[in-house]
Amino acid sequence: MAMGNLLGWLVTFFFLISLLAIICYQIICLIDLEIDHINPYDSAVRINKVVMPEFIIQAVFCLVCLITEHHLLCFLSLPYLFYNFSLYRRRRHLVDVTEIFNQLKWEKKQRLVKLGYLTMLLIVFIFW
Amino acid sequence: MRPSSTPFASAPPTVRPFSSSGPVAGSESSNFRPTPPGAPSTLTPFSAVGPSPPSRFIDPSVPSPSVKSVPPSGVPYQRFPTPPFPSAAQTPPNRAPPVGQPPFQPPASHVSVPPPSFRPQTQVPPVPMGSLPQNANFPEPPSDPSLSGPRPNFQPPFPGYPSKQPAVSQAPSPFSAQQGSFMAPPAPPSPFPIQQVSYGPPPPVANNLGYQSRDQMQHPGSAPPIGGVQSLTEDFSSLSVASMPGSIEPGLDYRTLPRPLDGDEVPSSFLEMYPMNCDPRYLRLSTSAIPNSQSLVSRWHLPLGAVVCPLAEAPEGEEVPVINFASTGIIRCRRCRTYVNPYVTFTDAGRKWRCNICSLLNDVPGEYFANLDATGRRVDLDQRPELIKGSVEFVASTEYMVRPPMPPLYFFLIDVSISAVRSGMIGVVAQTIRSCLDELPGFPRTQIGFITYDSTIHFYNMKSSLTQPQMMVVSDLDDIFVPLPDDLLVNLSESRNVVETFLDSLPSMFQDNVNVESAFGSALKAAFLVMSQLGGKLLIFQNSLPSLGVGRLKLRGDDLRVYGTDKEHILRIPEDPFYKQMAADLTKYQIGVNVYAFSDKYTDIASLGTLAKYTGGQVYYYPSFQSDIHGEKLRHELARDLTRETAWEAVMRIRCGKGIRFSSYHGNFMLRSTDLLALPAVDCDKAYAMQLSLEETLLTTQTVYFQVALLYTASCGERRIRVHTAAAPVVTDLGEMYRQADTGAIVSLFCRLAIEKTLTSKLEDARNSLQLRIVKALREYRNLYAVQHRLGARLIYPESLKFLCLYGLALSKSVPLKGGYADAQLDERCAAGFTMMALPVKKLLKLLYPSLTRIDEYLLKPSAPADDFKNIMKRLPLVAESLDSRGLYIYDDGFRFVIWFGRMLSPDIAKNLLGPDFAAELSRVSLTEQDNEMSRRLMKILKKLRESDPSYYQLPYLVRQDGWYHWLCRLDNANTPTSPAKLMIYRSSLLNVVNSSAPADESSPGVKTTTGKKGFARLGLLSMVVASISCLDVGQRQKTLKTGSA
Repeated sequence: MAMGNLLGWLVTFFFLISLLAIICYQIICLIDLEIDHINPYDSAVRINKVVMPEFIIQAVFCLVCLITEHHLLCFLSLPYLFYNFSLYRRRRHLVDVTEIFNQLKWEKKQRLVKLGYLTMLLIVFIFW
Repeated sequence: MRPSSTPFASAPPTVRPFSSSGPVAGSESSNFRPTPPGAPSTLTPFSAVGPSPPSRFIDPSVPSPSVKSVPPSGVPYQRFPTPPFPSAAQTPPNRAPPVGQPPFQPPASHVSVPPPSFRPQTQVPPVPMGSLPQNANFPEPPSDPSLSGPRPNFQPPFPGYPSKQPAVSQAPSPFSAQQGSFMAPPAPPSPFPIQQVSYGPPPPVANNLGYQSRDQMQHPGSAPPIGGVQSLTEDFSSLSVASMPGSIEPGLDYRTLPRPLDGDEVPSSFLEMYPMNCDPRYLRLSTSAIPNSQSLVSRWHLPLGAVVCPLAEAPEGEEVPVINFASTGIIRCRRCRTYVNPYVTFTDAGRKWRCNICSLLNDVPGEYFANLDATGRRVDLDQRPELIKGSVEFVASTEYMVRPPMPPLYFFLIDVSISAVRSGMIGVVAQTIRSCLDELPGFPRTQIGFITYDSTIHFYNMKSSLTQPQMMVVSDLDDIFVPLPDDLLVNLSESRNVVETFLDSLPSMFQDNVNVESAFGSALKAAFLVMSQLGGKLLIFQNSLPSLGVGRLKLRGDDLRVYGTDKEHILRIPEDPFYKQMAADLTKYQIGVNVYAFSDKYTDIASLGTLAKYTGGQVYYYPSFQSDIHGEKLRHELARDLTRETAWEAVMRIRCGKGIRFSSYHGNFMLRSTDLLALPAVDCDKAYAMQLSLEETLLTTQTVYFQVALLYTASCGERRIRVHTAAAPVVTDLGEMYRQADTGAIVSLFCRLAIEKTLTSKLEDARNSLQLRIVKALREYRNLYAVQHRLGARLIYPESLKFLCLYGLALSKSVPLKGGYADAQLDERCAAGFTMMALPVKKLLKLLYPSLTRIDEYLLKPSAPADDFKNIMKRLPLVAESLDSRGLYIYDDGFRFVIWFGRMLSPDIAKNLLGPDFAAELSRVSLTEQDNEMSRRLMKILKKLRESDPSYYQLPYLVRQDGWYHWLCRLDNANTPTSPAKLMIYRSSLLNVVNSSAPADESSPGVKTTTGKKGFARLGLLSMVVASISCLDVGQRQKTLKTGSA
């Protein structure tokens, strides 16, 4: 049992870390774009490549939390899940290469908020 | 204001209260102002625009019997000059022939402020320069007999001011003092305050005077030279919203609304302050006074930015000089990469130059070195156009190339499905391309290629060794491939015969095609594969909704319920991400797309147009194309598209001084990095807009510089950089910003912002935000003056923005923004949106406020000299009263002509012009040249009009008076009958601007009355604003008139 608990803990931890990594990666891409280190085409391709994995991992993370009875964590990540889902439904989840510069601010803000949120989750997760 | 009825002197004073101009100028000022008209160019009450030709004049008085105060008799402008002046005694016609400078000088000491000296003191609350002379004059008109002499002289000196600088330089100090007094009403010397009170209650006549004064203000606030002495006793112009006896609706007569009958007016003060700036046709700032602080920016509610048309057509003799630095390399700043320009300064005996944008000291390369003369100017200045002219073109060396310059390349993607065949489009296109082969730019390097498609894709091998093109059909749409590695794209001069054979046989090849499908997406991909090696221009002729393969589109926009909801805007953005992705890829490979759409049914221009939008192209839309009706238009526009000078694989960047930054860009292009516009193919008909923001809270510099650089490959294969440089003063005063505003640029920016907004929100929201910004701006402006002046129930606005309301309203009634579902076809809306996003300022303004001209008199005149053209082309205001049922009119918005036949027009004219069908339903008659003088003359007029504006071909639509209303419905130029409700918000908020200061006016009884009639005033303004631009209103009025008379 304890083994199962530990495994569950490790898996959730791993998911959380990978989510953080993905978000960081996206932010780095956006910043690079802003300071003209990469062109919009590459930037968009790189970001879009990891958007769906991010969404899926996040959804699985919620599920795992539920299974491993980390109810608080699951509860806390529901808004995130809902946000992702609504983005997806409106087809706004991928960055638009033609308008990327106009949306840069918003895209960055959105991801920074996500980053902050995930960090908070991580802290809650570790110390709870 | 007529000399006969009222001595001049008496009338104008009525104006003053509103005009606010300034204490210094007493009643004399009013005498004074009328003067200018005395000059050859007249002042018309309505025209409101400066030294305008008498022509405009017509509008006010002639057609408008109901304006009580303007007696109908006589031509107004003739009235002006004569009697009043003598009586007014002290005012000579200020347009008097230029007299030498000497007489001028003495007055100069108090008159002061020729622009050069003015410039340094921008921080002084600046007063329009034009007004200064008046200022100066007024204090002592009676005492100084010589004054009348100097004044006429006064004007000539201005234009020449640069040379005269020393002579007038002592001026500034007196001036600033005066300036102060000018701004602050309590300035003692003048009798004005008293007068003000006495005139406070605006008598009904005030309306007229109101506009009259506006006329006199003609010149954008600060325009010193042209303004002439008369121009500004006032800081602003105003519209009275007081009631007016005699008119049907109480309230401001809409006739008094200033109308841009001279078309686009470029504020000239800017150029005169900085004569080395590039011409405004290339770069226009929304205000040529840059605010120095964030707080100032936040109080400037209009867009702050620029409109750039880098390749605008220059008139003969003003072409941009091409400079080849060859061995030296192009001189640029080391740090900010600014190109050398007239504003850089040379120091250290000519060994160093200081960048005007980042103020870095750069070394002058040895080959470029020249000694400085005593004044610090380079001795070789006159041989260095880049140091004198604001616009130059540098020949770029290999370091500006990532690959050898591409040849001009035209690729045609032609729909050959049944609808295309039936409409005759293929025939016209093939014929036009064939006739343009000789004129395609870039001979002998030009490359050409074709793909046709229906449900399959047809490639053509045009290898020069063949006698006939070989057609290859690819029907695998999912995995598109190019059947031949080369020879689909061939050198035109080598394969000329094959290409000609192909074009000759193209229409017949598909004449029996019954295929209804369109594999557009796959064909586009195929074209992309063929072109991606080189880039170039892709012309797409699409006749139906793409129905097969990738990028297939659905019918949408049918659902009425979507309109007015949050999902409405989705109809205006591309449905399938394929189009955006494709557009991005096309731009990446330097392919510019022009879309020609022809269908009579829904073709989803929103999606197709995206291709043009992000590749710097444009959309041509010919709804329900029929070759016998629209053929000529297509022929002309396609020919222009093919033969106009095009810049290939271009990128554009605009640099500006420290502390400010261009934060957003608007137009048809794709951003390659934060400030780099990728323009695969750009030409003279494209303009781009951008908005500025301040990076620092406070700008410390006196002047900011802007530099537009367009790096491109010319058709001849040379890589070039076109550089436009402009300087603008930094100001601390909001009033100055308003004075230096440029309505054209502001409207252009507004237009682009509003159209972009329609892509993310409802039409209604886009219109509202536009109107809200105008209202806020006017309110802010009012606040500037509300304290010092009694504004009464008047809408005040700076002279430079006198047309803003009108254009703002015209904009919200333009095709992309107007109404709701029923007011414009979705495709039409989108096509117009794409077109307007790329239009240069001048054309946009013409589209928003078209010209209306009466021509029957000219046609009837027995012998009219050919050079008479200018005289007959008098623009009339777009109000019902302009239309006389006995007349024949041309309405020209730059995209089409409407020829309006009055109901009582003599049948002879109609017969002469239309031949035997003159009695038929006009919509079915096409205008062809008949064998008589009158018809030839009309054709000549149309030809001249078209020549003056060659970027589009204006097809004449014939309309009879009774058909006016239907015509409007058909052409959709009007708002729907619901217009009053729609504009309510705008108008009432405009009135809020007016009423916001009402409490301040309570003291004056006259004003009380007007506020009491607020309700009426509101109505009046409503009708005014509506009538001023809504053609529908014209129609309705016409209808009422008809019913009235019947």
